[in-house]
Amino acid sequence: MRVINTNTQVPGYEQPLIEFRGVSKTYIGGTHALSDVNLKINKGEFVFVVGSSGAGKSTFMKLIMREEKANVGEVIVNGYNLSTMKRKQVPMLRRTMGIVFQDFRLIPNMNVFENVAFAMHVVGAGSRKIRKEVSRALAKVGLGHKARSMPDELSGGEQQRVGLARALVNAPDLIIADEPTGNVDPNMSYEIVGLLDEINKRGTTILMVTHDHNLVRDFNHRVIMLDGGKIVADNAEGSAL
Amino acid sequence: MKARSIKYLTGEGIKNVWVNRLMSIASVGVLMACMVLIGIAVIIGQNVNRAMVGLEKQNVVMVYFNDYNSVMYPIDFDADDEMIDPSTITDDMYVVHNDEEGKAVAEKIEKLDNIAEVEYFTKEEDMQRFEDKKISNITDDVNFCSCGAKVTLKDLSRFDETIEGIEKVEGVYHISSSDETAEIISAIKDGLGTAGIWIIAILLIISLVIVCNTIRVTMYNRKLEISIMKAVGATDAFVRLPFVVEGILLGLISAILSEVVVYFCYRVMLETFIPSIMGATMPVSFASAALPIFGLFVAIGVVSGVIGSVIMISKYLRREGSEFKAYN
Repeated sequence: MRVINTNTQVPGYEQPLIEFRGVSKTYIGGTHALSDVNLKINKGEFVFVVGSSGAGKSTFMKLIMREEKANVGEVIVNGYNLSTMKRKQVPMLRRTMGIVFQDFRLIPNMNVFENVAFAMHVVGAGSRKIRKEVSRALAKVGLGHKARSMPDELSGGEQQRVGLARALVNAPDLIIADEPTGNVDPNMSYEIVGLLDEINKRGTTILMVTHDHNLVRDFNHRVIMLDGGKIVADNAEGSAL
Repeated sequence: MKARSIKYLTGEGIKNVWVNRLMSIASVGVLMACMVLIGIAVIIGQNVNRAMVGLEKQNVVMVYFNDYNSVMYPIDFDADDEMIDPSTITDDMYVVHNDEEGKAVAEKIEKLDNIAEVEYFTKEEDMQRFEDKKISNITDDVNFCSCGAKVTLKDLSRFDETIEGIEKVEGVYHISSSDETAEIISAIKDGLGTAGIWIIAILLIISLVIVCNTIRVTMYNRKLEISIMKAVGATDAFVRLPFVVEGILLGLISAILSEVVVYFCYRVMLETFIPSIMGATMPVSFASAALPIFGLFVAIGVVSGVIGSVIMISKYLRREGSEFKAYN
């Protein structure tokens, strides 16, 4: 269900792109993944999410992508109240976001162009628009010349850049990157986050889960630290980590 | 869903048949086995039906009317019985006094339901028919027969109710029928019908299971693709359509190939056992049976393709399809 702006808003106040209001999530079996999480992420922000394994990062991301539903509280993403949203509305929410996976998730029997175009076919884009936007997205990630290559002909870093092109080809408001540097070498990691940084500068909100504290410090964006299902730190600058 | 999405997904479905060609060949093979069995059952059934129609035509009931002879020589008349004194028989003891009245009774019978043909006969004509079966103590110059009608029934399965209807017609005295033949023919037809329905039902279920299995294998092979589709905002219908197209295509390919196989099987059957079950009746030509059988094959293929894919993909999407991380 899309949340409509109310007239009670202060002029100039911008509705957050992501808002957690007292969110708790307990899985069947009793695992408490998140407890009473409150936070706001505004449009245009670049946010790192850090924390050790089991800290609740995955659940945090799953709630934003509406892969899971909160037991308590409300999650609002891009104007959609995910707590009251019906299952058939989920595709519309996901079309407002681009997702970058740690394991790239490229379709092996499709070439680079087709892998990126695939995301546009899903939203029903026309072939002319697909050709134009896919070429543009591939150029943005520096892979314009590899459009006809198959995924297994690319390095890990190149595959992740294809994944990034696929995430941004539909011009989403939000890009969720789940440890995008987890399977690439350190140099390539900086290149990938550098690309995300550039995309962010053009106005797209970036939410990136990472274990790499060097990246967080060097790119110096807001950092949310989770531990035991709670937000234990929320710093405006990663250098404070 | 937009027309271009439907076009794209239809293309994807067609492509999948080739990409998963080993599985496709296996499915087409087993589907064909089912369809060929159904086709052969149908075409043999059609021939048996035609043979039955030939037999039915021979099934005629003899209806005797209530005339003077029916009173003089009742049906339960025995050689040891005392003869009725003809002077005691009055006109009001019987209904049919002449041929005109006999023909009127025959016309009444003709108007009844399930009557194909009625042919009136006089007592003399009936006597002629019985000349070789004369009752021992009746002399040649005595006609003990009654007038009546040779009645042909349309549908033997309604034999009893039709006979009951004839019995109720005023002027009908006795009905001589070979009801055993009627019962046997009716039982064979009913049996064939029931067996046919069961065979088709069982083979349909098998076809459905085969298509479901193929779709399931394809689906699990394409978990990655489905997870990405869901991640970028594909609706359930978008995910489902290529599988439905794939199911329909497998069904259609199986239908075409099965038709060819049934044609050759029927040619062999025509040269072997079909003539012996048909007797004097002409066997059904493949040309006349081909279209209904192909229609049946296409229906089986398409229905099992659509139902199979919808069942499997819906089950998958409900259970884990919305969780695109389930791929891990």
